[in-house]
Amino acid sequence: VSHSQTRQCEIRAKRKYINKGDAAAIETELLRDYKFGQQQLIELWGQACALAITKAYPLSALSKKQPTVLVICGPDQNGSIGLVCARHLRIFDYEPTVYHPKRSSHSLHQDFTIQCEKMDIPFLSYLPTEVQLINDAYNLVIDAMLGLEADSSNIKEPYSGILVTLKQIKIPIVSVDVPSGWDAEEPSQDGINPEVLISLMAPKKCALNFSGKHFLAGRFLPYDIQKKYELNLPDYAGTDCLLEL
Amino acid sequence: QAYPLSALSKKQPTVLVICGPDQNGSIGLVCARHLRIFDYEPTVYHPKRSSHSLHQDFTIQCEKMDIPFLSYLPTEVQLINDAYNLVIDAMLGLEADSSNIKEPYSGILVTLKQIKIPIVSVDVPSGWDAEEPSQDGINPEVLISLIAPKKCALNFSGKHFLAGRFLPYDIQKKYELNLPDYAGTDCLLEL
Repeated sequence: VSHSQTRQCEIRAKRKYINKGDAAAIETELLRDYKFGQQQLIELWGQACALAITKAYPLSALSKKQPTVLVICGPDQNGSIGLVCARHLRIFDYEPTVYHPKRSSHSLHQDFTIQCEKMDIPFLSYLPTEVQLINDAYNLVIDAMLGLEADSSNIKEPYSGILVTLKQIKIPIVSVDVPSGWDAEEPSQDGINPEVLISLMAPKKCALNFSGKHFLAGRFLPYDIQKKYELNLPDYAGTDCLLEL
Repeated sequence: QAYPLSALSKKQPTVLVICGPDQNGSIGLVCARHLRIFDYEPTVYHPKRSSHSLHQDFTIQCEKMDIPFLSYLPTEVQLINDAYNLVIDAMLGLEADSSNIKEPYSGILVTLKQIKIPIVSVDVPSGWDAEEPSQDGINPEVLISLIAPKKCALNFSGKHFLAGRFLPYDIQKKYELNLPDYAGTDCLLEL
């Protein structure tokens, strides 16, 4: 192990990888004390996710004729972030398609859904189980299904079925915050294997040795929160709202 | 983009953000917060706080980022010229009645007409009629139009930006906006 590799390990070790409790506490403080709105946070994260995807998979580098992207959205906040991400990808001239099996009754989630529909983003009514159909139709899959609030030991349908499919596809997966199906605090042994992870606010414990491309989104996080939770976040460049870890 | 950190003339990257009580002012507050994140040093002057809860939320977000709020604006123009690199005018937007501007905004506009540092206006330069270029109003160096440029900006001679890439295509078509294309992943463009 060379000296520079050791140094990289040291730098990475100083960075805080947060657990579920810290992540929930930070978000509660943002909403309750800092008076950020839920819609505001989701919009900021969703936009940053879309930007990360344009960096990791620029339009010119996509292999298929059409710049198609499949965005799989869950019912909770992670799914809402996926919807906002899809909308921004559409604006950036990608062709996102949303698969949104269980729609939340939460009004904010419904608003984000309508915003996508009004941008002519197609919504699939079912996900093909034949993996080759997905491999052929899309350049990549955005996994915005299950976030920190999910219980990875008890994943119900339809998500368990979707995860089975995702483990077999050949095209890259981009996961939002926590790869769906992973325990937020432990790297996964047999879960889905995303090529890109976009951590929100701070990387989670499960991402400690993530070997793919790892982005951090959440430049808006107030300094006082960063200090309080000892996040030791790296500096963002210029006016970028995301950075690569 | 218009005033990069490296190009600012004063030692500290100070910016004065003057916020009105309505949506234009809220936009100013969010702008100030992002400027703080981009390592500028914004100071907000916010004479009349709206009771609207969203506006109050944006105010608290700024306060929690350690952005100073002035309790009054110096009438001595040189103090403003010396302390700040530029002024963001986020006072009066489209909803304002330019023929009937009340205090404290009328007084602030008098001050702004005399300052030497650049003014950046959000959407409509405060005090201008939204549909007519102004004869004797404030003279911003930069205008940031929201969604689409307004009639009053027809012959605007300064730097003119357009913000609002998120505008759905159907609305653009319906109102025949004929907006130019945004580059790459930019959320604003220079007209």
